[in-house]
Amino acid sequence: MRAPTAQQALHGIIATVATALALVALARVSAAPVPYHSGRAALLRLSWSARPERIEVCRALSREELEEREEHMRQRVECDGRFATYDLRVTIDGKIVGESVVRGGGFRHDRSMYLLREMDIPSGKRHLQVSFTRHEKSVGDGASPASEAAAATDTGIFAGRATREVAERARRARAAVPPRLVLDTTIFVSDRRVVVITFDHERRALSIVNGTG
Amino acid sequence: MRLLERGARRMIRALDAAATRLFGMAHNPLHQSGTIAVAMLVVLIATGAYLVLFYRLGAPAESVAGLAADPWLGAWMRSLHRYATDVFLLAALLHMLRMFSQARSWGPRTLAWVSGLMLLGTGMVCAWTGFVMAWDSFGERLAREGGRLLDVVPIFSEPLSRIFAGDGPVPSAFFFVNLFVHIGLPLAIGAVLWLHVSHLARPVLLPPRVLSWTLVAALTLASVVMPAALGEPASAFRLASTTPTDLVVAWWLPLSERLAPAAVWALLLLLAVALLLVPRVVRRRREGSWAPSVVDPRYCTGCNQCPQDCPWEAITMVKRADDRPTLVALVDPARCVSCGICAGSCAPMGVGPPGRSGRDQLQTLRNASMTEPGPDAPFPIVAICCEQAPAAHAAALRALGAHIHPVSCIGNLHTSVIERFIRDGAAGVFIGGCPPRDCLSREGPKWLHERLFNDREAELQPRVDRRRIRVGTLAPGARGDAIALFETFVAEVASMDRPARAVGEASEPVCDPVALLDSPS
Repeated sequence: MRAPTAQQALHGIIATVATALALVALARVSAAPVPYHSGRAALLRLSWSARPERIEVCRALSREELEEREEHMRQRVECDGRFATYDLRVTIDGKIVGESVVRGGGFRHDRSMYLLREMDIPSGKRHLQVSFTRHEKSVGDGASPASEAAAATDTGIFAGRATREVAERARRARAAVPPRLVLDTTIFVSDRRVVVITFDHERRALSIVNGTG
Repeated sequence: MRLLERGARRMIRALDAAATRLFGMAHNPLHQSGTIAVAMLVVLIATGAYLVLFYRLGAPAESVAGLAADPWLGAWMRSLHRYATDVFLLAALLHMLRMFSQARSWGPRTLAWVSGLMLLGTGMVCAWTGFVMAWDSFGERLAREGGRLLDVVPIFSEPLSRIFAGDGPVPSAFFFVNLFVHIGLPLAIGAVLWLHVSHLARPVLLPPRVLSWTLVAALTLASVVMPAALGEPASAFRLASTTPTDLVVAWWLPLSERLAPAAVWALLLLLAVALLLVPRVVRRRREGSWAPSVVDPRYCTGCNQCPQDCPWEAITMVKRADDRPTLVALVDPARCVSCGICAGSCAPMGVGPPGRSGRDQLQTLRNASMTEPGPDAPFPIVAICCEQAPAAHAAALRALGAHIHPVSCIGNLHTSVIERFIRDGAAGVFIGGCPPRDCLSREGPKWLHERLFNDREAELQPRVDRRRIRVGTLAPGARGDAIALFETFVAEVASMDRPARAVGEASEPVCDPVALLDSPS
């Protein structure tokens, strides 16, 4: 094997230096500090999912109406309706920073509501008000006609069914988000902090999540 | 688009020249961009297999932080995995640019182009999921952006972004799906890679061993000395002012975050369509230098050499239509890239692209006249130069007194042409081709060497003095080497006796080019 010439050695050194520089560049590019939330503002994040209230009007079908139907289709209480919509309003120190109408998910808005809103909030001591109010002023009473129907017609081979339907409706009503939710509080928000507000299903109220980190 | 192609070609040439000057032609990593990408894939699979052993779905950030804190193996394995990702993407991108610049993205190469795009896209998504796995501030940033973009696609019942909102812990199911995708995508990459090279007769998947190990060693060294940074653990309750962002993987992130998701999708769609349309936009008419090879069955002896030499598996042997007992070659125009290597492989000169078959080459030679030797040159030297080589190299050889004879590829060159030059009185024939790993015909320099020195069909006849032939490489950035080789060759040839012109001598019946030219067609 021939010994490398001076020029070859120089080339080798230059190649090594170039490789080292390329590796340094790779390491830098691989973890470049790219600004994300460069300001000092904090963030208010509203996030919850809840079932919207069902607004429906129920009535008991008459004996004639029932007889017109196939036996297996004879549901004695029939309800018609839709799901409620909700007005969300967020104010910070009395100033409205967010306002929107929230509907249920899906094309027919018959799924759970999934709410995710983010808005900047200046750091410091802040008076925060979040209201989540049912948009519809009046709703049909689904349980009452059903109860009446149950009392009147819950006999024969269908005995017990109407009562179960009433119980199911009541359970659904309890699972739905209340007609009005309000969070009115004063908090201290530090720089680049995220204040997360959610709907506490157990307490059936809006609450601030105490996050760590 | 042609303007873009030319611009890209100039850029690639400049990069090639710089890399050749630095690393030498044999180890120029830019010529190996495709194989380097595959080598990095191997490194990624090996290091990934190790890392996944320590990954915990229930505590992703903690497990990755634990790996990063392990000074013995974990830290540099993780860094190597990350740096290999970057090199994989850069190499794949460079490979794509090279193919585009060299007009190797259309016609029979369309499948390779489209599958290459799929590989690049899949690699990007795979890298995305990998960073999310680490669940540091950068991983969370990528996950949030991914959720934001996917939420406009109506396929999820619940918005994905709510996973990271902070009203509940991030479910381990999310990390499971992410891990599943991260491991599943390389399998898809393997399948698409097979598709990518499926039209090649002899695909080269890995770089030369020296280059592979040097690259792995260099990246390992970088991993030990400069371990990849890990951001702070992801938190839904704190806004990171900066994130340690991998700009190779997420160069688009700062822009994407400023745009509406629909706009990002529109841009992405536009980019994908534009790239997919490249084969259609840059395609050429299959005529002239792009015409596929044709077989003249009268000369085909059924020797089966051209199917063996064709780098694209474009030639098959089929039954003859006449009553001769041999098979006959058949070229599939849909797979033929018009490289002309078959013309160089055919002793009886029965195959090749129109105008570039062995017969055509000899006819061109007969029609052309060699320049008279300069006053300082005792007798002429012919330099057969690949047309793809830098024009400056050919000009430099011409300035040194060489008679330049251009060919589309030195693999297309029929050995009879070399013999003809020498028999016509050339003192020597210098053949300048492209760097072997940058040959547009893939195997031009390899087959020429075999035909000249190892008796591969169509071999250079034994009666030709090999001392009068020299094969060199005309690589961007290595003009000095080419000139030095040429000057040495000229000096060697000068010390030999002047060859006598041989026109009119008795010649062998089949392989003699003169006899073939004179034979009735």
